[in-house]
Amino acid sequence: MTKLKNAMRYLVLLIAAFFSLFPLYWMIVSATNTSTDVIRGKLTFGTNLFQNYQDLIAVQNLKMAMINSARNAILLTLLSVLVCSIAGYGFEVYHDKYKDMVMKILLLTMMVPFAAVMIPLFRQFGNLKLINTTIGFMLPSIATPFLIMLFRQSTRSFPRDIIEAARIDGLSELGIFLRMFVPTMKSTYAAAITVVFMAAWNSYLWPKIIMLDPDKFTMPMLVSNLIAGYVTNYGVLMLAVTICTLPTGILFLILQESFAEGITGSVKG
Amino acid sequence: MKKWISLMLSMVLLLGLAACSPSSTNTDTKKEDTKKEETQKEETKKDEAKKEDGANASGQELTVWCWDPAFNIYAMEEAEKVYNQKNPDSPIKLNIVETPWADVQTKITAIGSSGQTEQMPDIFLMQDNAFKKNFQFYPDLFADLTDSGIDFSKFGQSKVAYSVVDGKNYGVPFDNGVVVGAFRVDLLADAGFKPEDLKGITWKRFIEIGEQVKAKTGKPMFGVTTGDPDMIMMTLQSCGASLFKEDGSLNIEDNQVLKDAIAVYKEMVEKGIVQEANNWDEYVAGFTGGNVLGTINGCWILASVQTSKDQAGKWVVVDMPRLYDNDAKSTNYANNGGSSWAITGTSQKKELAAKFLNDTFAGSVEFYNTILPSSGAIATYLPAANTDAYKQPQKFFHQEQKVYEDIIEFSSHVPSNATGVFYYEAKEAVGTALVGIVKGDDIDKGLKAASDEVKFKMGQ
Repeated sequence: MTKLKNAMRYLVLLIAAFFSLFPLYWMIVSATNTSTDVIRGKLTFGTNLFQNYQDLIAVQNLKMAMINSARNAILLTLLSVLVCSIAGYGFEVYHDKYKDMVMKILLLTMMVPFAAVMIPLFRQFGNLKLINTTIGFMLPSIATPFLIMLFRQSTRSFPRDIIEAARIDGLSELGIFLRMFVPTMKSTYAAAITVVFMAAWNSYLWPKIIMLDPDKFTMPMLVSNLIAGYVTNYGVLMLAVTICTLPTGILFLILQESFAEGITGSVKG
Repeated sequence: MKKWISLMLSMVLLLGLAACSPSSTNTDTKKEDTKKEETQKEETKKDEAKKEDGANASGQELTVWCWDPAFNIYAMEEAEKVYNQKNPDSPIKLNIVETPWADVQTKITAIGSSGQTEQMPDIFLMQDNAFKKNFQFYPDLFADLTDSGIDFSKFGQSKVAYSVVDGKNYGVPFDNGVVVGAFRVDLLADAGFKPEDLKGITWKRFIEIGEQVKAKTGKPMFGVTTGDPDMIMMTLQSCGASLFKEDGSLNIEDNQVLKDAIAVYKEMVEKGIVQEANNWDEYVAGFTGGNVLGTINGCWILASVQTSKDQAGKWVVVDMPRLYDNDAKSTNYANNGGSSWAITGTSQKKELAAKFLNDTFAGSVEFYNTILPSSGAIATYLPAANTDAYKQPQKFFHQEQKVYEDIIEFSSHVPSNATGVFYYEAKEAVGTALVGIVKGDDIDKGLKAASDEVKFKMGQ
């Protein structure tokens, strides 16, 4: 009976795994095939990878898109994690009678879709002369309610005794944050880095509007350029998608373990 | 750990400074220089005859937004060469920004609504069916070209009509979207039909042929994308009708032509003459893979048809079937897709941009002769039709058919119709209704619902 139960469990998991892994498999396989083969649904590796790469760099500036995407994503990740962790820590550790109200308002802003604020934001950034700048791309997403909440939740499990003890030992408030809190919360940081990096790397709408200069274009824009024509070369498209997925995939694999811990909010004391 | 923190902080600081400080302009210029060098190298590779790299440096620059490197962008690059040959004393440099259509629309919406008009390019490409809607919302973004010197009478008039508002011209027509039927001759022959059997016929006859083809080969005549009412829109236009009346009011309920077109479509789906594909890719795979006999679409679909090189000699291009047998208004010709160039109304270089378009897209037969063979970009510029490039037999097609000549011939017969400001909204609503009607919903109820939905969006 237990054997049957186990077998059923594995069966369900296998099916689920198949559905999540198949698109990835198909993406990688298609990157090595010709457009016609992709359309015909060929599921085995082909020999067209090099040709696809040649075709891709002939029509798109892959190097520039990768550099732009990497610079935007890394910068935004570092800034965002720094700002949000300080905010989350502050919300939990310090007391103020309005802080819960402020937090609620912050969370409410999560409910406003980006499309609704896009035009006022564009207008504001135009007046501030921030169009076509990296800072213009980053500013709207440096502080996100989700990350602040994530850090606030994990600060809850951070022992207060440590803070008290450090204060008695004469450590400054910033010192406590940097020397006590940050090292303990590595897994939360890993989770936050993964989330922000993925969002920044994949973000499309805002950079598309604010980065009007062709020298500022990013990987998602490159991918979207490939499907805009009357004829789409699917082999090339899939290769571009694969290349675009690699950095986030690698980052996720590296931080996977801490990511799971960080999201569930556990602390290694 | 201290090291780790300080490293992180200094990284943030450094990168932040590098990105935001004015010194970044230096790196940017350097980058630009290297990029310029790269493109110059590419250009010399592409065109060895063009040796005067320096000539462009002194010229004025025009920024252009358009999509598709193999088609529109390529055409613009060639136009730049043609213009500079015509005007060696005052050459221009084009800064072409590859921008997919959906993004052109998003950017125009953002810029138009926020008033940041200095962010617009000098020239942009606009889908014909979206022209009037964008003009209505953001009239400032479109320059009036009526008195710019461009001779609009040299273009197909149904095509010019897309960018005319209140008798004024706001766009220079570019690529042709005239509807063609492209079919596999070998598969037709399997069912005992010749290519001539498909020319100049009615939908009724087409269905008769389709039934026999289906019985003998088991294959549908052509494919469509589910929920995409392109077929209906083409049939409407072939009768000079649309979802709007001439005065711009909605014409979905009690539109007899629309009802007849839907009835034909429904019959074809039920009899298996039309195959409904789930998405565009599946649709293209249908005719390139030989699962259906062909396709009926704007002539730009021929670029996709010709991707299967192994099928050379097996394709024929014919006109589309007409809806009514004895009605002068009902023709075998319609338009689907296509786009026109617009000049930004707030641009400082309006005159230069107009002169550029006038010397190339609206005034150079050689230009169209150059772009046709490499890109298949078929002109709506009528004088181009009399040139050699358009009269060349095409090896890919059955008996080396002179397809381009035929297509230009088709386009001179396309009736114009009222596209209306809310074209896409109406089309989408009809598409939704169509899915229900094909499944068995009542046609009147379906169209009533579609009509109500569009009226709501139009604010009526």
